[in-house]
Amino acid sequence: MGDRRLRLLGVLVASLVLTLSGRLYFVQVLDTNKPVQTAGYLHEGTIVLPAARGQIVDDQGRPLINDIATHVVTVSWETLQNQADKGKAVLSKLAALIGVTEHDLAQQTTPCGPKVPAPCWTGEPYQPVPVMTNAPDSVVLGVSEHREDFPGVAVQTTTVRNYPGGSLAAQLLGYAGAVSADDEKSDATLNDADTIGRAGLEEQYDSVLRGVDGAQTVLLDPRGQVVGNGKTQEPTQGDTLVTSIDAGVQAAAEKALSDEIAAVRKSGKPATSGAVVVMDPNTGRVIAAASYPTYNPQLFVGGISVADYQKLTAPSANDPLVGRAISGQYAPGSTFKLITASSLVQNNEISLTGHYPCPGSLSIDGRVKTNYDSEAFSYPLTLKQALDVSCDTFFYAPAAQEYHTDQSKIDAGGQASEFLQKTAAAFGIGTTPGVDLPKDEQASGSYADRETRQARWNTDKSTYCAQAAAGYPDVKDAAQRAYLTALAKENCTDGWRYRAGDNADMAIGQGETTVSPLQLAVAYSAMLNGGTIWNPTLGWAVVDKTGKVVKTINPTVKSKVPTDRSTLNYIANSLHFTADHTVSGALAFDGAPYKTSIGGKTGTAEVEGNQDTSWLASWGPIGTDAAGNPTARFVVVGMIEQAGTGASAAAPMVRSVYNALLGVGQATALPNASAVTTLPAIVPSGQVATR
Amino acid sequence: MTALLARDPRAPLDGDLVAIASTRRRASTDWILVGSAFALACVGALLVWSATRSEQLGAHLDPQAYLYRHLLNMAIGGVLLGLAARVDARLLRLLGPIVYAMSLLGLAAVFVVGSTVNGAHAWIVVGGGFELQPAEFMKLGLILGMAVMFAQRGAERQTIQPTSSDVLIAVALIAVPLGMIMLQPDLGSAMVLCTAALGVLIAADVPARWTVGLISAGVAGVIFAVRMGVLAHYQLARFAAFTHPNVDRQGVAYNITQAHIAVANGGWFGTGLFHGPQTNGAFVPEQQTDFVFSVAGEELGFIGSIAIIGLFAVVCWRGLRIARRADRAGRLVAAGIVSWFAFQAFQNIGMNLGLTPVTGLPLPFVSYGGSSMFAEGIAVGLLVAIGRRPARTDR
Repeated sequence: MGDRRLRLLGVLVASLVLTLSGRLYFVQVLDTNKPVQTAGYLHEGTIVLPAARGQIVDDQGRPLINDIATHVVTVSWETLQNQADKGKAVLSKLAALIGVTEHDLAQQTTPCGPKVPAPCWTGEPYQPVPVMTNAPDSVVLGVSEHREDFPGVAVQTTTVRNYPGGSLAAQLLGYAGAVSADDEKSDATLNDADTIGRAGLEEQYDSVLRGVDGAQTVLLDPRGQVVGNGKTQEPTQGDTLVTSIDAGVQAAAEKALSDEIAAVRKSGKPATSGAVVVMDPNTGRVIAAASYPTYNPQLFVGGISVADYQKLTAPSANDPLVGRAISGQYAPGSTFKLITASSLVQNNEISLTGHYPCPGSLSIDGRVKTNYDSEAFSYPLTLKQALDVSCDTFFYAPAAQEYHTDQSKIDAGGQASEFLQKTAAAFGIGTTPGVDLPKDEQASGSYADRETRQARWNTDKSTYCAQAAAGYPDVKDAAQRAYLTALAKENCTDGWRYRAGDNADMAIGQGETTVSPLQLAVAYSAMLNGGTIWNPTLGWAVVDKTGKVVKTINPTVKSKVPTDRSTLNYIANSLHFTADHTVSGALAFDGAPYKTSIGGKTGTAEVEGNQDTSWLASWGPIGTDAAGNPTARFVVVGMIEQAGTGASAAAPMVRSVYNALLGVGQATALPNASAVTTLPAIVPSGQVATR
Repeated sequence: MTALLARDPRAPLDGDLVAIASTRRRASTDWILVGSAFALACVGALLVWSATRSEQLGAHLDPQAYLYRHLLNMAIGGVLLGLAARVDARLLRLLGPIVYAMSLLGLAAVFVVGSTVNGAHAWIVVGGGFELQPAEFMKLGLILGMAVMFAQRGAERQTIQPTSSDVLIAVALIAVPLGMIMLQPDLGSAMVLCTAALGVLIAADVPARWTVGLISAGVAGVIFAVRMGVLAHYQLARFAAFTHPNVDRQGVAYNITQAHIAVANGGWFGTGLFHGPQTNGAFVPEQQTDFVFSVAGEELGFIGSIAIIGLFAVVCWRGLRIARRADRAGRLVAAGIVSWFAFQAFQNIGMNLGLTPVTGLPLPFVSYGGSSMFAEGIAVGLLVAIGRRPARTDR
């Protein structure tokens, strides 16, 4: 019978029971090395400790941007949920304290979920929700002195950007903003608590300024409640960016600019905008770059309000966010004659010893081109004289001749030489200046040549022809209508044609020729440094929080101009101010003690439909190097739009900048009145200034 | 089947005339068996309550919700036990095929209307918050089906020793539900099914070479299927899921570790009910079901835990005692049920102690869960019914 089999089953069951009992005894009683609950929580959560952004300091270590501590009020939703009324009372009290509605506050602090639509807290439930940044002392005290009334509410300290100089160097420094979802997608190390550089040096050097976020690990039980703290990784403050900007020179340049614009406006001219660039021609470092109108980057701290942003971007505000010194491009007028003269001499179109006519007007291709105010000289001029008095017709003739020579070459089946264009390119015009700012903040300048003319016509031909056919019915004035229609007709049929007049226009920095004030400063620097076109820099060094220089930023050589040193010296010497008024623009420096140790070239650029753009490209104090070449410590370029002649507006403005640089009527902005050459010592600072 | 149904269901299946004579002597209900099962369920109620109350509180839900539900399940299970205990054991011949067929239908229905819980497609929602897991009833169905088949065919041949064709039919009876459960996939239930069937085979005096051969063939078949790529990718994935039955974020290792910590915490006397830090911290996933024993380990200590194991030992002892006294069909049914309970309890407690691999199996009577409680209630009821009609006198 099967009893034997049942006994077998009984034995099996008994062995199972014994096995379990033995194991149970071991696990609960015998085991000397029992496992204990350590970090075996269901999950660990991370609360980001955002790193303070690095400072940006000037050439003497003075902060242009630093960080200040600010108070943030946070609410722990999780703690509220553990209260009997789910935190209703706390939220109600807090809402009254910080001046928002209880409803908004509740929405803001509730974690998003399938049943919780926006607005809601997008972070983890255990993370404290910031409900008020930059909390005033009344709120901070209200919360911290009545903690029992505010369980789950905390005041934390965080850092925000601070601009000790207010709007000083606003467009150079740029601004930082909140991290967007797209940023986080492209860079996994970014998160909501971070700020990211959005413009200027803040954007260009974002990776060094940003630092490394820290993390507070929290231990969570399976319900997501914080039951303890894990390890804390302190944030690493961003590195400090030392710039070659000098706060004193920058301030002087900005003041000179706004003062001069005010003065020009008083005289009835619009003077809509302007810029000043100060750079060291020998090193390629930028010392100051002012732009008008400007703005206060403080507006962007903690997120700019819609109203403020609209104000900044309104047409009447005239683009204060755009840094004219580097992002703007304007017809350079006669300041361009540095390049024209270099080209003509270098290509043997004129000689340094020859004399050439300077009539009041000249007909080129049947169009009459005149000197400024039709000034005429009855005798031929040397290149020096032509530069000093800024004769235009002097340069028209060889430029037109160059054009015709090129056309002959083309007719013969050859290539146009386009010497003027090639020289302009060698001086850096037409390409971005390569300064250490975001690409879209660097104007590249422009000039016309055969190829671009043809290309543009191919694109725009149909528009011109349509406009010619339509005849501008919207334009009320009959004469204006006829003019525009004739222009459109001409462009329709002959718009591809590059003309002798175009080449003549370019020779005096008109027509389609434009440069940025920085590009002009770089070009004049080349005149004084033996022909080096720099990729100029604003940044000088990256210094970590221990004060160690981790990277030195040096301007690199973009190109060498093809002009002989002797020719560059000739031009520089020609424009060296003397005690009299031989050189155009020198009048504005009468009485300045340094007048005869600087040089300059004025520019008065005509702009269709607008008042003239006023320029002065200058350099000084002038010295001589061992080989007898003229040198200068600074190149200063000033520009004001719609302000009249270079001599009348830009020159007095530039004089104010030299007064600051050289310490006339004030202390010198720079020690020894020359560019700072040793990096400032950056004090190790794990700390940030408190408010 | 037809032949089976055509016979008078009350006709004895056993050919033993002495046995027929002795069936008229009614024995009383095995209150030790019923009492042990009831005690396990009551301990289960406390453990389920303790395992769920802090988590329920944390979620702002009724902390007694699981307790009430467990008590309701106990009540329904008790009613089913009472009904099953009233069944005339001789009706098993009729009931066996019906329960087997209905369980199989239930398993099939899972594929049509089933829902997935913890990675296994094994539940049928019946409404009112109830979900049925047909695999639980299949355990009973297979035991009854096999037992009746062996007894019936043995009676027809007037001999007890099963033939090869009996064994082959038994294999077919096992294979069909086993395959369906493997597809859900539910390794735990599949293992219980095999063990219960093995218990029936052993009790049925199937020659040892057959049982050993079947076990070897099964193991070889699985290895072959996996190695030779006979299985489709998704099937392999389901096999892989066997090792991760509790689809929680931290995986099986976490589960084992936390259960081990909880049990080790208990020591001799435990932390006291509701006072286990592991339990209150809800560290052990699935603590009211598969890992309910860890609550006993932590809060009731070695004394309480060994008592639970002891109660299972009592249930098995009483079951085997009933088997020894029953007619052939009843004996096989009882042997199958004992094998089922013993293995499932061993497997479940074993995985709480880090002794056996983790599979999704409830601890009989103790774990929270309706289907298992109902099936186990019926099983105990059937044991009682079989015990009340012993085939022979106590020797």
